[in-house]
Amino acid sequence: MDGRFFNIIRRFQDRPKVGATPADVVHAENKWRLLRYRSEQRSGVPILLIPSLINRHYVLDLMPGKSFAEYLVAQGHDVFIIDWGTPEKEDRFLTFEDIVLGYIGRAVRKAASYSPTGKTHLLGYCLGGTLATIYTALEGDKVESMVNLAAPIRFNDDGMLSAFSKIPTLNLELMVKAFGNVPWPLMQFGFHLLKPTLNMSKAVYMLEKAWDDQFLDGFFAIETWGNDNVSFPGAVFLKYIKELYQEDLLHKGEFYLDGRQVDLHNINCPLLNITFEHDHIVPWKSAAVLNELVGTDEPDLMHMRGGHVGAVVSRKASKGLWPDISNWYRGHEPSANLRLA
Amino acid sequence: MNLWSTWKKGFDIWERTTASYLEEVIQNPLVMNTSGHALTAFMKAKAASDSSMAKWWGSVGLPTKRDQERTLHALNQMQSRLMDLEERLEEMDRN
Repeated sequence: MDGRFFNIIRRFQDRPKVGATPADVVHAENKWRLLRYRSEQRSGVPILLIPSLINRHYVLDLMPGKSFAEYLVAQGHDVFIIDWGTPEKEDRFLTFEDIVLGYIGRAVRKAASYSPTGKTHLLGYCLGGTLATIYTALEGDKVESMVNLAAPIRFNDDGMLSAFSKIPTLNLELMVKAFGNVPWPLMQFGFHLLKPTLNMSKAVYMLEKAWDDQFLDGFFAIETWGNDNVSFPGAVFLKYIKELYQEDLLHKGEFYLDGRQVDLHNINCPLLNITFEHDHIVPWKSAAVLNELVGTDEPDLMHMRGGHVGAVVSRKASKGLWPDISNWYRGHEPSANLRLA
Repeated sequence: MNLWSTWKKGFDIWERTTASYLEEVIQNPLVMNTSGHALTAFMKAKAASDSSMAKWWGSVGLPTKRDQERTLHALNQMQSRLMDLEERLEEMDRN
């Protein structure tokens, strides 16, 4: 048993760097930055990765050999990612409009400016996918295609997050008044409650695999990411919980942004919607429902085994999910479509 | 090794049972509502304390924390508007 502990400590001390794929900052505004991964061989329509607003972007660039961004770059794609940064106290006043129409809009236009077609592919993960979907429904003219990874669209489900958001004795306005931005430790505590014994079973699993250095590197990287969260800008949080979780307005087609109705039927670009069977954060049906609501002819749905994070960053993903996504993009390059025609 | 496997099997059974029990407890409306009440009471106290502090600060003619946040936010918004203008000018140049 001592040997196991020794190996865990040794690997922890030598753990690989997270978010290590080389990238250049092509735009910076308030706390967010738009990064473009370096590559000698990139071509085609750029792919803009939009991570969740409340997690660090490097989940999509976890560590060398286990990085979705690194994989896409190696396949010759031109890859951009939004790093949302860390909101400060003054960002409590940021609105949903600022994030979607302002920041995502700017990132899309910047990425599209490097594109041979003047458009960009969007790939949104979790809340990032929801934001990308809302953006595309409102301003889809620069969006070549959309890939959603575990992105909630119908929020009124039987998941525990949905239940938490509807606790009648919890005063959300007061929460924002008291804290400004919703503190990440509070949100992390909420996420831990979704699977109360998860931390303990993760520790035991780590002990079991204590001799597997590759496993330990991945484990520490994902734990680093999982414990490196950011607070939720207050005004955005209020609209998100009240109008999306409590009233489920996006799914009902009654969600408004800047006075404009977000009609998901306006989305006409190619869509690949990816859901995960054991996702306890975004129940897969809540994400899959998007395919019934968009105007796209025959949107693609990929339903896979695995959970919300593991399925996206695991070793298995590098042999299944990532090549599938890359191939889907290759099939939806405008030049590829011309060749087919 | 056998000792580990036996212990692991026991742990797995314990984990499954405890997880489903705890999930049930947490989803219990009584637990949820009580937690909601407690958190709301804490936030009410914090909001009241912040507000009295801001009143005192304001009474001596100094900008409050909220004033500073609003100013910084306005500066950030101004930066974004300038970037919007830059984009429009670039687009006009291209056309």
